[in-house]
Formats: sequence, structure tokens, C-alpha cells
Amino acid sequence: MSESHTNLLQQYHSEKKSAKTTAELEALRVKYLGKKGEITQQLKGLGKLPPDERKARGAEINKIKTEIQESLETSMRDLALKEQEAKLQAEKPDHSLPGLFNSPGTLHPVDRVAQEIADIFLSMGFFMAEGPEIEEEYYNFEALNVPSHHPAREMQDTFYLESGQVLRTQTSPVQIRTMEMLQPPLKMIGLGKVFRRDSDITHSPMFHQMEGLVVGEQISMSDLKGTLIMFVENMFGKRPYRFRPSYFPFTEPSAEMDIQCIFCEGKGCKVCKGTGWMEVLGCGMVNPRVFEAVKYDTEKYTGFAFGMGIERIAMLRYGINDIRLLFNSDIRFLRQF
Amino acid sequence: MKILLSWLKDYIDINETPEKIADALNMAGLEVEAVIQPGKNLKQVVVGKILNKGPHPDADKLSLCSVDVNRGEPLQIVCGATNMKEGDKVPVAMIGAKLPSGFEISRAKIRGIESFGMMCSRKELGISEEHAGLYILPESAEVGEDIVKVLGMDEVIFEISITPNRGDALSHLGIARELSAIFNLPLHREPLGNDEGEGRIDDEISVEIHEDQLCPRYGARVVKNVKVGPSPEWLRDRLEKIGIRSINNVVDVTNYIMLDIGHPMHAFDLARIKGRKIIVRSAKSDEKMTTLDEQKRNLDPSMLVIADSEAPVALAGVMGGFESSVTEETKDILLEAASFDPVCVRKTAKRLAMMSESSYRFERGTNIDNIPIALNEAAKLLKNIAGATPVKGIFDAYPKQEILRQVRVRTKRVNKIIGINLTASQIETYLLRLKLETRKDGEDIIVSVPPYRHDLEMEADLIEEVARMYGYNNIPETLPAITSVLKLPSPLQKLENRIKQHLVSIGFNQILTYSFVPAGISESFREKKPLSLKNPLSEEQATMRTSLKWGMYDALRRNILNDEFNLRFFEMGRVFQPVAGEISEEHSRICLGFSGAANPNDWRRSQEPFDLFVVKGIIQNIGNLFGLKLKFTPGSCSLFHPAMQMEVTCEKTVVGQFGQLHPQFLDNRKMPKHIFIAELDLGLLADKNVAIPRMVAIPEFPAIRRDLALMVPKSANHRDIVKIIADEGRKLLEDHHLFDIYQGKGIEDGFRSMAYSLTFRDNAKTLTDEEIQPIIDKIVARLAKELNVNLR
Repeated sequence: MSESHTNLLQQYHSEKKSAKTTAELEALRVKYLGKKGEITQQLKGLGKLPPDERKARGAEINKIKTEIQESLETSMRDLALKEQEAKLQAEKPDHSLPGLFNSPGTLHPVDRVAQEIADIFLSMGFFMAEGPEIEEEYYNFEALNVPSHHPAREMQDTFYLESGQVLRTQTSPVQIRTMEMLQPPLKMIGLGKVFRRDSDITHSPMFHQMEGLVVGEQISMSDLKGTLIMFVENMFGKRPYRFRPSYFPFTEPSAEMDIQCIFCEGKGCKVCKGTGWMEVLGCGMVNPRVFEAVKYDTEKYTGFAFGMGIERIAMLRYGINDIRLLFNSDIRFLRQF
Repeated sequence: MKILLSWLKDYIDINETPEKIADALNMAGLEVEAVIQPGKNLKQVVVGKILNKGPHPDADKLSLCSVDVNRGEPLQIVCGATNMKEGDKVPVAMIGAKLPSGFEISRAKIRGIESFGMMCSRKELGISEEHAGLYILPESAEVGEDIVKVLGMDEVIFEISITPNRGDALSHLGIARELSAIFNLPLHREPLGNDEGEGRIDDEISVEIHEDQLCPRYGARVVKNVKVGPSPEWLRDRLEKIGIRSINNVVDVTNYIMLDIGHPMHAFDLARIKGRKIIVRSAKSDEKMTTLDEQKRNLDPSMLVIADSEAPVALAGVMGGFESSVTEETKDILLEAASFDPVCVRKTAKRLAMMSESSYRFERGTNIDNIPIALNEAAKLLKNIAGATPVKGIFDAYPKQEILRQVRVRTKRVNKIIGINLTASQIETYLLRLKLETRKDGEDIIVSVPPYRHDLEMEADLIEEVARMYGYNNIPETLPAITSVLKLPSPLQKLENRIKQHLVSIGFNQILTYSFVPAGISESFREKKPLSLKNPLSEEQATMRTSLKWGMYDALRRNILNDEFNLRFFEMGRVFQPVAGEISEEHSRICLGFSGAANPNDWRRSQEPFDLFVVKGIIQNIGNLFGLKLKFTPGSCSLFHPAMQMEVTCEKTVVGQFGQLHPQFLDNRKMPKHIFIAELDLGLLADKNVAIPRMVAIPEFPAIRRDLALMVPKSANHRDIVKIIADEGRKLLEDHHLFDIYQGKGIEDGFRSMAYSLTFRDNAKTLTDEEIQPIIDKIVARLAKELNVNLR
């Protein structure tokens, strides 16, 4: 290659090195490859050369032209990318600004716990039944083997309406109504509001209960235990439990189920009053008198029933220390769940 | 009920720890709520003898004593009490002692004199509430001995909650009987009192029962020449530990018998029983009586009274009369032990609001066989502690001897119910441990129920007894081998769950308010006259809600007063509407409440408050969840701003309404203007048939979109515009919607600019502008002509 060509190339390369923008590269292209560019000029000047020189010289210039062309294209591409990147970077917002959203709300803690409990029983093949909240005395008491003037009525101080109807004191009447409609075998739960004349930090005149009933031809107390243990383990985790004899007019035998205190793991604390146990539900084998009231064959069918207070479980689960908080609708309380 | 361990030991030799006894009772169904051991936290308190008592040099009201506690040198103690003298024995809390109040004794300087302990009162030892000076101990107390031992404070007291079916367990005998069954230990007792005495009972008193249904047995015994006075220490001690105030030896004895064997008793002043005659009868219509608590009571014929020949002297099983009560002048006493009908006692006690220890036990059933035992024991005690002379014999009015109930227990049934496999003999063994009489009949066991077990009426009751003795925790665990009938969630249940999930996900907090509301709330919050409770807890909770709106208003208001302004609440629940007469209907409702910013977390428009259309949109969307078309028309509810409210209709049924709270209810300066409340009936919505979607083919041909910007005068509304668009668009109009509305700069007063987007499509071919233009022209022409709406 002639010295002048080598110099030309060197000159190009040193100029390209200092080109920082696509515009500068474009200027270089014009300078070398443009209509009046040096390479173009030289190519135009080839005609003035003698034919034998022309060929070799032509090849040389074309080689240089290709080199410069390719070099420019590559650089152009690289720079264009860089420039776009820089332009995009310049759009950068304040990333620390908060996202735009409607924050989700909350289910009421009582409803939330009730649904958790219901889900366990529904998965075990129970169905959900309902009944009225203003109830006939018959369904709330007599059909459940609680005659008038029985001390058992004291366990549930009742609200009366002028009509003689009552605000149901328990969800158990749902059992009666369900059995009046359906024949065994059946596994039901009932969930709803109940009312008792009582108000302090652990009692509310309105609260919620979950009721359960299983009736079939071979239902025994061992089925009661197995079912409720399965529930408790899914609700509270595997932990020690016990069944204590108790009394409910509508079951015989009757029991109360305790689990090991979830706060102190049985060591004894304020919540469990030092006993290490927490009562979670009442249960028992359906009293034959209840079956008589719904005209079930007491010899053929046996069954068990259980019931629990939802507020109590919600209070234990979320560490709520005053039942009245549940019905105050205080957003500062509600949004925690 | 309180039970003393030392008292139980009158009946049973039990050496288990208090904890183990409590546990056993719990597991037998007698719930032990607390085990109290008063001496447990009383250490370093001993008997001291006051050797010397002198004045404190610097304080008139204090004395300086030298007290021997049998531990070397006597202790110098400064004391503020005045009731002691030299030679008295008193409890001394030595340095390091801790008293039940938590007070710890340390060396102290009192007015410059060092004191090495404290002499104690009953109150300071935690024995009694009275604070009348130091507790002067009996002379027999040994100096230096631990006070816990001297005062019997090593007592263990069980606080037991007895279920209403177990009247038989309301005494020390009852609990001992239970423990004897649990631990399989023999039950024993001191020889019973007898009916020996002087004279003849028939000469003293006679008893007539006129109502033998209500009083199956009445026993009377007489003791003479009683010296009414304080009870001896042992008796006072037992009663006080139970928490019963000692009154005098006669009353104390009747209380003692009740706590001991569970039979309530009454003592009359024999001299005040006129005609020497007891008549058990119904009260007369306008009879009156003053009871022991000096209250004048109006009686009625539903009440059973004990009367003498003239007037009532006691309310049977509830409370004695004031006139015939034992006083310090009383000499001769008539003791009563009887059996009364539980329902009658309960009714009387309830009507007169006078529950007593006695009525409590009669309501739960007593042991008719205990009547002579109670009388004889009482006579024996009064002879021993009050110098009384019993009269021989009991006047025992017992017209119809009670027959023991027989219950058949089938082995197969026991095993079926409990889910175990016992033999008849095993079952019999358990029943025998409970002191039940049994007889085998093949595989069956016939049980004679003792008269105190009122809870054992049928086979199931005895199965429970077997299960209790077998141990609930020994019963195996299985799962029911049945498949329930299938009952799917009701449409209402499904609807409720779906709406709940939806509302929570768009930012609503669920609330639960009471189903009862104040009687005096504004009619605007009511739909109908509400049902009233006969016995409300308070005026605030006196009527049943007929709508959820008041609860929502109250919830919003209370939060706003707490400076919480941005609220979106919902409640689901039932309302109670009276229909014909006294019958009521329950309706499931949902109520929504809105206050403050509609998008509080959106910092680009966080200041925009809720308005009618945000609320309308949320309601509309609830319908959309179920494919229900809701219609909105202006509403007329007095709770709401008259112009800012709508009524919601679904398939021609009114299903609810919503609106902005009327300014008259903004009764606090803090309450913002933009508070909205909506209420929908879920039952009505759940009744609507939700169509199952049918697929429509995805269009093959392109659509043409046209926008119309219109100048709309006040007289025209959206609905009319849309109607013309839809009319003229016909089949080719696929979609149309409002996408912008503008008022203000550049728009003439009284006009709004409204922009609609129209989409046309032909499913059979590609549409051309030429086909659409005539439609647009027609729309524009009609808008101008009919509504005075022109293109902008």
C-alpha cells in the first residue's frame, strides 16, 4: 500500500476515535465517503491514471473504502445503542414513590375464623345449614330437651320478644330444623349469630356459634372424638387435648373438649388461668329425647353434636383481650386482620 | 361452690395431692375452677407470746413489745394495735415473712425504734375481712409454732362449678361420693344422730301437707332449751372457709348440715308457730309475708308456703319468715327438713328475685331420704354445742313413699354409643362404684337409681356414667363411616361469599354491629316499626334492626370522631321486619358505607372524595359479579340528600337504595359532607336467575370506531342520548360508551361537553365508511332535533 494511503487510513482511525456522537460519525462519513469525500475524490481521479496503474490503485482504494465503511457502520450501531440507552435512562422517575393501588380491605376477624372452621368441616363432608335468629321457644329449648323452669335455662339468659319468641341463645335449633327436613345419614354444620343477656369483657349480648351434627346408624362417641380431634389439629396444630364430662340437656353423654393452652404450651398462664388447658368446644352424643322430638328412630340412629363460640376462638387466635372490640367497628382495630 | 379437703376427709381417706384430686374431679365432669391453699404463701409466721408491753418513747399511739417466739432472745416489736396485753399469744410475722397481701417483713425503724417483726390481725393473715386489732390466739397455742398449722391454714379449698344436673354433688358428702367412685375408695362417716330425746314430738307439733305434689315429704323435729349464741370455733372455722358468715349456733347448724349432706334446713322459733301446727299449702291471693331479709313480699297462689294455723311462716324452700325466725330470746326450736318441687321453688324464687343457697339446691333436686338424717344430725349438734334437749322422734309427713326409679341398661347399647367393647360385668362394676344398686337380667343390667341422682332418668344417662368411669380419654378415636346426604350451599350463601371476597379485594373492611338498635333512632333509619325486646339489656339495645343503615351510620360516625375519615365499610347480616301481627321476617342484607377519599392511596388524585357515581359503580359491579342488570332511578329516602340518591331495581324488584347522607345527620363538625350509605337485599338478588353464559364467536371482520363530541344542554341527559344512539345504530352498533364529560372553560354556560365512542361491526363482512356515515348522520340529526344536542 502506498504511503499516502496508509496515512489516510491512519488519519481516519485517529479521527474516528475522537468521534463521540452519531453526528460526528456522520461528519466523518461525509469527509471520507461523501460526494466530495477524499475516497470518492480519489476514485474519481482514477480515470486520469495510466491503465496499468489504474487497476492496482483502484483495488487499493476500494479496499480502504470498504474498511472505512464497515468501521463506520459498526461504530454507528454501537453509538446509536448507547445514545438510546442514555435517552431512556434520562426518563428515570423517582422509584421510591409509592405504587398506585387500592389496598385490600379485611374480613371481620369473627367471619375470618368462622370461615376457617367451616372450611375444615366442609372438607370433611359436612354441609352448611341455616336457621332463623328469631326463634320459637320450642326450637330453642323444648325440642332440645330444655323444659321451662329448668335450671339449665339459666346457663343461657334469654332475650324475649313481645310475641313470646326468643332471640336464639344457641345455634342448636338449626339441628332440629335440619333433622325435621332431612333423613339420616347426615353431617351438618350451622353457623350464625346467637344472643344472650350478658355483657362484659368476655361476654357479648350477641355472638356467633358454630354447631355441628352427625347422625347415622353406627355413630359412636369414638366417632365424635376422632372427628373433633381432626378439627382441632387442623385448626390449632397437633397438640395435647382432653375430653371432660359435662352437661348439656341435648346431649348425653356430654363432654367439653380442652386443648393444651396455645399461649403457654401447658405450663400455665393468665389466659388459661394456670391450668395449662383451654376449653374449645362442647359436645356429646345426641340425647334420644332430641331424636324423639324430630321423630327419628332412637334405636336405629345415633349421633353426636358439638358447638363452639367463634368469638372466643378468634380472641384466642388473634390475642384480642376485650370482646367488645369486635363489635365497635373501629377501623384501627379492623384493619389489623 | 367451695369444698374443704379436711371436710371431705370426714367421709373418705384420701391421700392424693390437691392437684391430683382436682384433676380427677375435672375428668369426672365436676369442674374445679380453682384450688385455694391459704397457707401456701404464708411462711415465717409463728405463735409469739407478749412478755412485755410498754409505750413507744416517741409516739403516743404506738407501743413497744417484747415478744417470745421460742427462737432465743425475745423480739423487740413496735405495734400500733391496742387490744393486746402482756401474756397474750399472737401471730408474729418474723423478718423475711411474706403475707398474703404481698407485704414482706423486713427490719425497720419505726419512729426511731428498731422493730424485728410484726404482730398480725386476722385480715393481715388473709383469714377474714375484719380488722379489729391483733388476732389473739387461744392460750393453748404453742409458742414458736408455725401459724399455718396452728390455725388449720394448711386447708385446701376446691372451688367447684357444678352443672345443673348434678344437684347431688352440691355438698361435701356428694363430692366425697364422687371421689370414692373415681378412686375406688370406701365411703364412711361418723355414726349418725338418732331420734332419741325427751317427751314426744306429737305433743309439740303436727304437720299437714295440703299439696303433696309440691311437697312430697315434710319432717319436723323439736329441740328445747337452746342457748342461742356464738358457734364453737370449729364450726365457725368451717363455715368461714366456705365463705358463709357465722350468725349464731342455730343458724350455723342448719347451714352446716346443708353444706355437709346437701339438704337445706330451716329453724323456726317454736314459740312463734301459732297453733303448734305446720301446714304446707299454697299461698292465698293477697297474702303477705315479711321474709328473713326484712322485705315485705306479696304472695300468690302459685307459691308454696309453710304456714302455722294463722299465716305463712316461710316460703317453701326459698326463705324463712322474719316473724318466726330464731333470735337471742328463742328457747325452743322447730327444725324443718323437707322436700319441695324443683319447678315450684324455682318459679317462686324467680318471681320474687330471691335466689338462696336453699332454693339453688331444691331447684336441682335434693335427697328425700336425707330428711330424717338431716333432722337427727341437727338435733345432735344443737345438743352438743347449744345445750339443747331434743324431743324424741320426728314428725314425718310422707304421704306417698317414693319408689326408686328402675332403668334398664343394655350392654350392646352401651358399647354402641360409646364405641367400646365392655362385658355386662364390667359395666356393672362401674355402676357399683357409683353406689348404684344393680341387678343383671341376661346381658342387661337393671339399675335402681338412688333418690339423690335426679339426673339418671334413662339409659343414656347411665351410659354417660359408664363412660365417665371408663374415662372419656380412654375411648378410642374413629371417624364416622357414613356419607352425608348432599346439600350444596344455597344461592344466598354463594352470593354472600362471592360479594364478601369481592368487596374485601377492593378495599372494604367488614364490620359486625349489634342486631339490636336504640329504640329512639330516627325513623329515617327505619323501614318499618321495629320489634321490641321484652327484656333488653339497655335502651341502647331495645329494638331489633329493620335495616343495617343505622349500624353503618353509627360505625362511620364513631370512626370519624376518632379522626379516621377515609372509610369503606360493609356489613352483611339479617334485619327483622314485622309482618302481619306478631310474625317477623328475616332478610339478609348488605350495607356499604363510604367516607372520605375514594382513592386514598392514589397520590395523583387522592383528594377526590366519594361521589354518587363511584358508589353507583361499586353497586353496579356487585350486579356484574352475577350477570345481573341493575337499574338505577332517583330515590326518595329521607335519610339521604334528596337529589343525591338512587333506588336500585333488578328485574322490576326494588332491591335497595343508596345515597349521600342528608346534611341533617351531619351532627358533628368533624363529619365530612361526602358520606354515602348503600343497602341491598341479598335474598332478592339471590332469587334472580343467573343465566349460564353461552359462547359467542370471536369476530372475524374488523370494526369501525367513531367518536362523537356533543354539546349537551342541561335539559338533556345521558340516558336519552344513548337511547337515540342505540336506536339508530341497530344491529351494526356493537358497543357505545361515554368516555369523557367536560364542563367549564370553553363550554357555554348551561352546557356540558359529552364524548361518546361508538363501535360498528358487521359479522358477515368488512364494513366501509360509506355504510356507517348515514347512520352517524341520522344520529346527529335526531340528537339535534329531539334533544337540542349538537356536535361540538
